[in-house]
Amino acid sequence: MEENPELMGKTKPIIAVVDDSPSFRSLFERSTDALGIELLAFDSAEESWAYLENNQPDILFLNIIMPDKDGLTFLRELRDLPLHRDTTVVMISSKDYAQDRSIATELGAIEFITKPMPMQTISDVVLKYTEASNKT
Amino acid sequence: MSNSYLRFWGVRGSYAAPFATHLKVGGNTSCVEIRVDDHLLICDAGTGIIPLGNALMKQNELREMMVILTHYHWDHISGLPFFVPAFSPEWKIHFFGPGQNAAEVEKLFSNQMKAPYFPVGTETWLANVDYHTVSNSRIDYGPIKIKYNNVHHPGVTYGYRIIVGTKNIIYVSDNECRFLEKSINRKYQEFTNEEKEIFDEMKKEEYQAELDLIKNADILIHDAQYTSEDYELKRGWGHSCYIDTVNLAIDAGVKELYLYHHDPNYDDETIESIHAHALDIVRERQSDLKCHIAREGLILDLA
Repeated sequence: MEENPELMGKTKPIIAVVDDSPSFRSLFERSTDALGIELLAFDSAEESWAYLENNQPDILFLNIIMPDKDGLTFLRELRDLPLHRDTTVVMISSKDYAQDRSIATELGAIEFITKPMPMQTISDVVLKYTEASNKT
Repeated sequence: MSNSYLRFWGVRGSYAAPFATHLKVGGNTSCVEIRVDDHLLICDAGTGIIPLGNALMKQNELREMMVILTHYHWDHISGLPFFVPAFSPEWKIHFFGPGQNAAEVEKLFSNQMKAPYFPVGTETWLANVDYHTVSNSRIDYGPIKIKYNNVHHPGVTYGYRIIVGTKNIIYVSDNECRFLEKSINRKYQEFTNEEKEIFDEMKKEEYQAELDLIKNADILIHDAQYTSEDYELKRGWGHSCYIDTVNLAIDAGVKELYLYHHDPNYDDETIESIHAHALDIVRERQSDLKCHIAREGLILDLA
């Protein structure tokens, strides 16, 4: 694999994923393996808070049904922070419901991806909203 | 001696069904009373909370209660505007439901009582009312321990684990169980082998999470709204096929299951046939599960 010269000297895009499902986190890792990103995976809203409280990733992928806080309520809380007013957020959920899409849109999520999705869908979204490049 | 019981005041989903053909099961929407001595917990405020409120006004032992909502869809809130204790200064009422903070919970409880939808607002409530949120998924109300979990239903919806003494009561009124598994199965042939391997694992994880939600249940009150035929037509409405509910309860080792949130289109005869089939499933699987139909007026002893 060769480095993309256009990215030389640039820092890697930081992608944060909050999902309690180990298999989804594995799917995400494999989907973005070749994209030259820095992936931060968290298994709960609470666990991600230590990072998100003070840092803005290039994209935040957020699941909805989680054991502690649901992703929609968590996103509402994040939007209250000046740091995350404009953070790029993509919802990822098994909840293929119009009502969840509508709430996510109101909260400024730019995409709503329903599980199960092919790996290509994840890598396409990362490429669409960052300067990451496919090195394969 | 402890006075502990659970009573079903409303067992329908979607909308009230006050039809002569439906009344052996009951026509009111979701509402369950849990009483532990001088503590009263009410799960959901569908139209079933109206006769419960009227009954409470006729007694003198209690003047305080907690009302917890799973979510704010109509069939779970439509009794509140007619809940007489809220209009009485003698009562203290604690409200809890999904929401980011107490102000948002208050707004969500109150919105249906605004013009042009209703003639008077919650400012006409004379009871001492407060709204609660918690940060750790747990609420204690006297001897009643309550924990909520997020469940599979449109919008933010809670399922509750309610512990009374040694009894675990699980109240999951609205939940489309096995949804992800079915979504994966529908698309399975489109995936690569690598993706199939991951999604096989994801199905196992998801099912385990569904079992964990209801594990150790002495009493499980769970969404069983549709027959399999109607489920195919209403997939994505956020409700379960009763067959999935029964199988899930068996797999989780639940002791007693109450099929709940009955479709308002189903008359008594249809629900009896659902019950008969549910009992067949229990027998075929050689399970010890006791499977019942939640019926309006049914009282369970919790002592």
